[in-house]
Amino acid sequence: MPARADAGYRLHRLLAVLTWLARQGRAPVSELAERFGLGPDELIADLELAACCGLPPYTPDQLMEIMVDDEEVVANLGPELARPRRLTAAEGFALVTAARAIESVPGTDPDGALARGLEKLETVLGDRGRLRIDLGEPPYLAELRRAVEEGAQVELGYYSVSSDEESVRVVDPLSVITLDGHWYLDGYCHRAGDRRRFRVDRVLSVRPTGTSRDHPGAGEPTDADGDERPADVGAAAFVPGPDATVARVAVDDAGRWLIDAFPHLGIDRLPDGRTVITLAVASTVWFDRLLLRLGPHAEVLDPPELAASGRQAARRLLARYRAAR
Amino acid sequence: MVDRLERLTDLVLVLLRDERPRPLREIAAEVPGYPAEGEARRQAFERDKRTLRDGGIEVSALPIDGPEQVGYLIRPEDFYLPDLELEPDEQAALNLAVAGVHLGDPSGRDALWRLGLPASAGVRPFADLTALPALPVLYDAVRHRAAVTFGYRGDPRHVAPALLRFRGGWWYLVGFDLDKEASRTFRVDRMEGEPSVAEPGSAVVPDTFDPAAAHPEEPWRMGEEEVVLVDVLVDASLAPLVVAEVGESTVHDRRSDGAVVVRLEVTNVAMLRSWVLELGEHAEVLGPESVRRDMVSWLEATAAGVTGAAGD
Repeated sequence: MPARADAGYRLHRLLAVLTWLARQGRAPVSELAERFGLGPDELIADLELAACCGLPPYTPDQLMEIMVDDEEVVANLGPELARPRRLTAAEGFALVTAARAIESVPGTDPDGALARGLEKLETVLGDRGRLRIDLGEPPYLAELRRAVEEGAQVELGYYSVSSDEESVRVVDPLSVITLDGHWYLDGYCHRAGDRRRFRVDRVLSVRPTGTSRDHPGAGEPTDADGDERPADVGAAAFVPGPDATVARVAVDDAGRWLIDAFPHLGIDRLPDGRTVITLAVASTVWFDRLLLRLGPHAEVLDPPELAASGRQAARRLLARYRAAR
Repeated sequence: MVDRLERLTDLVLVLLRDERPRPLREIAAEVPGYPAEGEARRQAFERDKRTLRDGGIEVSALPIDGPEQVGYLIRPEDFYLPDLELEPDEQAALNLAVAGVHLGDPSGRDALWRLGLPASAGVRPFADLTALPALPVLYDAVRHRAAVTFGYRGDPRHVAPALLRFRGGWWYLVGFDLDKEASRTFRVDRMEGEPSVAEPGSAVVPDTFDPAAAHPEEPWRMGEEEVVLVDVLVDASLAPLVVAEVGESTVHDRRSDGAVVVRLEVTNVAMLRSWVLELGEHAEVLGPESVRRDMVSWLEATAAGVTGAAGD
């Protein structure tokens, strides 16, 4: 789509407003402005312009019939403008993806309104089920989603990778979201006394405490677009928090998967051809396991205190394999 | 001076009304705002056409009789969709879906606009799916059964695409590799350059091809080694999480201390090793002996550390 405010974008938006008006007949200025994300003045200006558009010879009977005052827009635009318009490839993809994603969430009615709407859409687009979304279904997902909906407080059994510990904590669930292929619970954690994000697939148990959540304000979501991660237990290793150590790891070609696997802070090359990846490490447990997976293909260049981490972790595991069974 | 938005709006209405392509001379005489004849008018019209195309409105240029030789119109089938006849509850459900699923660009909203279903604001997204520029192109190819070509690990690949799939945070294209004559799965983010798409219907897939079977579910099955059954012991603390991940049917033994042994079908031992090591000291490969030995050699090499530069 063209950038905002240029003529292409304004035309796209104006046609959308006209389609909506053609279907509705009339609408309050404020509602139209909100639906299409523009100011009332801008909306009125565009509609006044549209009222001068039409077909030659541009006599009043050939212009679009749009009456605008400060409060309301009344339009008589005929059936053609009310018709749905062809979607671009990106739009068709986005719409079907969104619908399929919702459909894949456990608990969605397979014969409900969404499924019916999607079927009509796919028939028109010629899709026939060529797009499949699998958001995963960790065991406690449905229970946690219900707790969020009902505003119920829960006691959570949780396995934290960064500390390699199981814990039990009382949490006021605020939202459940999925990103990067994992489901997360955002909530106010009473043990931490702060907002935390939990990986749902690491939840070991859920027990309602029988009370409602008592931290609606404290946990008011700050990540409105879902992109920001609050300080967290489960995914801590990926967020350069104040306690994170910055490590530089040199990998050969067989270890280059590390570049794609985690967010990194930078990439360099060594004269010997190896790649140096700079990472934020908030958890030594997590880092040890990463080094085990990289094996002999990785070398920690910095900081010195982590240089031997991989070798030591490997020795600890080897001891287990060498012990008599 | 006519506002460009006004000129564009009139242009769309005029080009849609025409049943036959008409030359620029006639169009410019009817649509206010074009410069008088000559190169400036031609340039203004070309620019308008580009703007429309960027916005998803295709202006067709067709041969006509007469000195101009080329005429223009917007074909109704290029502009309108057949009516979807969506019920109000279906419209609302699609609205909620677009609001709830974040794709990194406004395409979903734009789609609703074109359908005449503008969203009401106020729903927080609950899913964030990675958006990649190649996805709409591949989706078109899949829908139209069109062969695609793209670079992958340095080689050009020619694929009859069958399915576009999101799983575990990654997008995959599942298809039939036309050179290797076998089903293959490709990570879309690893494709090199923009995929190029052949004409609709150009992708022919053998009857025996099953896209569902072509996508292995677990990383340790993403290989072509001979199947080996591997037993992995997982201690009590992580047993429930691992069983939830690999499925109850893989549980081979439950021990009195709460630990489990899962038996996995493996066609990629390296991926299995990586998965087991991610569980740290909570998991151990029990057998078969060859896979256990592979793990021990890996750990010995890791314990010895890097002995030299690359190529060592």
